[in-house]
Order: sequence, then C-alpha cells, then structure tokens
Amino acid sequence: MNATTDAAAGGTVRGRGARRRHLPSRLVLLVVGLFYLLPMLSMARFAFQRIPMYVLDASNVLSKWTAAPLLDAVRQPEFVTAALLSTRLAVLAALVTVVLLVPTLIYAYVVLPAAKPILDTISILPFVVPAIALVVGIAGAFRPIAPWFIASDLSLVPFYVVIALPYTYRSIDNSLAALDLRTLVDAGRSLGASWPRIVWSVVIPNIRAGIATAMLLVATVVLGEFTVASLLLKETLPLYLQYLQGGDPQGAFAVGLALMVVTAALLGAINKTSARRGVTQVAGVM
Amino acid sequence: MVVAPSALKGDPPVGRVPLRTLRRWLPVAPFIGFVGLFLLWPAVVVFRRASERLDAVRAPMIEAITGQFGANFAFSIRLSALTAAIGVVVGTATAVAVARLGNASTTRNLIIGWSAVAANLGGLPLAFAFVAALGKQGLITRLLAEMGIDIVGAGFEIAGFWGIVLAYLYFQFPLMTLVMTPAIEGLRAAWREAAASLGADPRTYWRLVGLPILTPPMVSGFLLLFANAFSAYATAYALSSGGSRLIPVQIRFFLQGNTITGKTNLGYALAGWMIIVMVVTMGGFLLLRRRTERWRA
Repeated sequence: MNATTDAAAGGTVRGRGARRRHLPSRLVLLVVGLFYLLPMLSMARFAFQRIPMYVLDASNVLSKWTAAPLLDAVRQPEFVTAALLSTRLAVLAALVTVVLLVPTLIYAYVVLPAAKPILDTISILPFVVPAIALVVGIAGAFRPIAPWFIASDLSLVPFYVVIALPYTYRSIDNSLAALDLRTLVDAGRSLGASWPRIVWSVVIPNIRAGIATAMLLVATVVLGEFTVASLLLKETLPLYLQYLQGGDPQGAFAVGLALMVVTAALLGAINKTSARRGVTQVAGVM
Repeated sequence: MVVAPSALKGDPPVGRVPLRTLRRWLPVAPFIGFVGLFLLWPAVVVFRRASERLDAVRAPMIEAITGQFGANFAFSIRLSALTAAIGVVVGTATAVAVARLGNASTTRNLIIGWSAVAANLGGLPLAFAFVAALGKQGLITRLLAEMGIDIVGAGFEIAGFWGIVLAYLYFQFPLMTLVMTPAIEGLRAAWREAAASLGADPRTYWRLVGLPILTPPMVSGFLLLFANAFSAYATAYALSSGGSRLIPVQIRFFLQGNTITGKTNLGYALAGWMIIVMVVTMGGFLLLRRRTERWRA
C-alpha cells in the first residue's frame, strides 16, 4: 500500500522505478524487525514455556506455556524487598530531581539568563562520566571520609539524580522554554502574588507535563541501573535479577522480561507526554 | 605604603559588586553544588588517585595503556567502533526506509516508538534475551542448526567478541534510527524535485545533495554510538559472567579491592582514561550536532 502512495507521489513516469527501489527498504525493515523481535521471543519462550530446548519442535511449540515462573519469582521475599527498595529510590530520586531543577531553572529564566548556558553545560556532564568510572570515583571520594554514606541504601539517590540529569534537565528546560515566563511572572507580580505563589500556582501548572516526564525518566533509570547498585552492593531490582539467575534462571528471565515491559511502558508514557512538544528523546548513554 | 590607604578607600564599591553578583548567583548554587559533589568531585578523585604513583613501577596512567591493559583498551575501542559503524549503516538504512513510509504510516510510528524504547534497553535483561536467543541452548542457535548452520561448532560464543557485538547492536540500531530520522525527514522534497528538474537521476541526487547533507549527522551519530558502547557495562558483564576483556568489566576487578602488586591505583587510571575517551567523543558529538542544528534552522 505504501509502495503505491510513494509511486503516486513520484509521478507515473517514475512509478516503476520507485516500486523497484522500494524493495530494498522493505528488506531492511524486515531484517531489522526480525532482529528486534527474535531475542524477545526467545526470552519469552525460555521464561514462560516448560519444555527444554533439546526436545522443542514444531509439534509442542505451543504447549506448556505458563506464567508460574514469574508468579513464583515475584512471591519471593527477596523480590519484595528489592522492589520496595527500587520504588523508594525512584520516588526519592524523582522528588530530589524536581526540587533541584524546577526552582533553579525558573530562576535562571526569569532573573539570571546569564546562568543558563552554564547550567546547560553542567546538565550534560554526566554523559562524559560512564557509570563504572563514576562508581570508582564514588568509592575513592566517599569511602575514606563518609563510609556511613555509601553504606546506606539511600546513597544511590543523588547518583541516580545525576545519571538521569541530562534527560530530566532537558525535559523541564523544554517545557519552560515553551512558556512566556517573564510575562507570566510580571502578570502575577502586578496582581500582587508573592514569588512562591507564582511558582506554585502559575508556573508549575504550566510545566506539569515536563515535570511528569522528568519523573518518569528517573523511574526508568532506577529500574535499569545495574552498575552503581551492583558495585555499591545495593539489592535493587536489577541486582535481584542477578541473584535469581543463580538458583532459578527461568524465574530470572521472566522477571527480566517483565522489567523490560515495564520500562517500555514507562518510555511509551514519556514519548506520549513529550510528543506534543515535538521532543525526540535521544537517550541511551547510560 | 602611601598608595595603600587610597586603595582601601576604593575598596567598598569594588567589593560590593562581587557581593551582589554572589547574591544573584546564590539561588543556582544548590544545583551546581549538587552536581559538583556527586559527579565532579568523584571524577576529580579518579584523576587525583590515578596520578599517585605509590609503589608502582610506572605511573598508573601509563600502566593503564601499556601491555595487557593497553591491549584491553584496544579491544574495547575496536568493539565499540565496530558496533558504532554497523549501527550507523543499519540505523541510517532503517531511518531512510522509515522516512519513505510517510508520516501517517503505522509501520513508521511503530518502528520509531519501538526505537525510543529499545535504545534504552540494556543491562541484565538484554543479556538474558541474547542468551535465550544465541546461547548454546538458544532458540536461534537451534533454528540455525535445523537449517544446517552450526554456529556453536563455528566457534560463536555469546560471551565472546561477536556475541557482545550482536547484543550491543540491539540498542545501537534504534539509537541511530532516532538520530537520523529527523535529518532524513528534513530533506525537503523541493530539493529532490529541483535536482530532478536539473536532470539529476536519483543516484546523482544522493551523491551531490543527500549524502553531503546527511554526512554530519552520520558522523556525530557514529561518535554517539561509540560513546554509548564504550561506556556500557552491565550487558557485557552479564554475558561474560564478569570475564570479559572489556575495560568496564576489568575495572570491576580493581573496585572489589583487588590490587596487583606494583600496580596500585590502576583501577583509577583505567576509569580516568575512560573519562578522557568519553570527553573526546561526546565533545565531538556535541560540536557537530550544534553545527547541524544551526544549519538546519
């Protein structure tokens, strides 16, 4: 169907050529699509089908599928502990992110535009420090002077705020840039509103989508982050996967797949909230 | 001596200006301080410790790029560059194919939406997926064997170089597709028509118009993908059960308190070199990207 639209757009003279040239691009989409699909299907089969690979064939490929590995795994007390820790980290890191970014950025927009380029630059610095290098630095910096700090589970919060910063900063920055902040603030001031009141009842309602996106981004980072948690020995969900893999690989694969589905759903929600503003989330450097 | 009093008299106005500036900057200080404490300070510590020689024969920063560790760095860079190069080609081809489908196409939106998800997948779950697909008991391994292609017998190992390359491509392809789609969809139909009306066939159009416009985003995409692969850790760690030669996996060994006699602080030096490589590639990426964006506007 798309071949015809393309040919029509190209005009009748180029019609045949366009259709011929279209074949390679269909082939690309097919191959890439299979590459995306097959590992997920393999994982789903391993996680949810109770048939060993060496007896699997065309006759039994649809039998003995079960959700039991996932249900058993999530009933383990270790899973509950890990899920609670990850949730706590996600909520705290999201709150810290918002408290840190929103007032700073509003202030930079309204009062101190000179600070904006500096803040922009700072916000992308986490890109140049890979998680594994960061954790080396954390150990070297905090272990000698504040061992109690990295011993605490919640010490991950500030690092997750920093790791998510390039994405969260852009999300809130974009939503503020779309507003005529000065006019809003002047209008509020002339009506006698105090600064906190303006921020709370004028600016924040206007950047709700950006704030929501930033919080979802933090949750995505917390759900996926393995490096720092692993090397600081914190039992978060990704670490639970590793623990489970030792004793119950099928359960670990099931939980892993579920984690990917949750991450995909979060990212889908993020794309939905940011799509209207035409923001492409180019992410990935984690 | 005689000058001093007048200098003192001139002090207050000079001193007041910085004070006011300081007060104006005070509200942004928590943010800067936060990043300083939890990102910059650890990074500075990495370099400070990497420059302490202690009992080492050679400075750690030198030790980290010679001998066995130099070879491991070369291994990491080769793997990252290869996944970036394949990612650029396939990701761009996907973006071109997607752009042909037109804005309203369901397939297009499906692929773009999935790319935004897959570019962020990684870690242990991704490693699990590739073990399930291409491990010794993997589904694809088995399917290929049924077709008479014995990848295990041919020496393929999911924990080896090519196994890690394939797993990394799973997030490299979609990232490149995301980078290239706006650039390709920004190629205006008017340019193609103008070229055609001047007598250019499609091949000439791509050679003289399309490719020159797409080269900067492709180069910056390569740098981004390289940095992406170079800094990845969890997938490779899980695929290789911690045994990979990749630098991030090697660093773990030192971080767990292991030291090789005479090579103290080597872990810091490896981390330091990683940061240097990232600064160079991400710096290049951002510079190029800024230029492309200005040009497009």
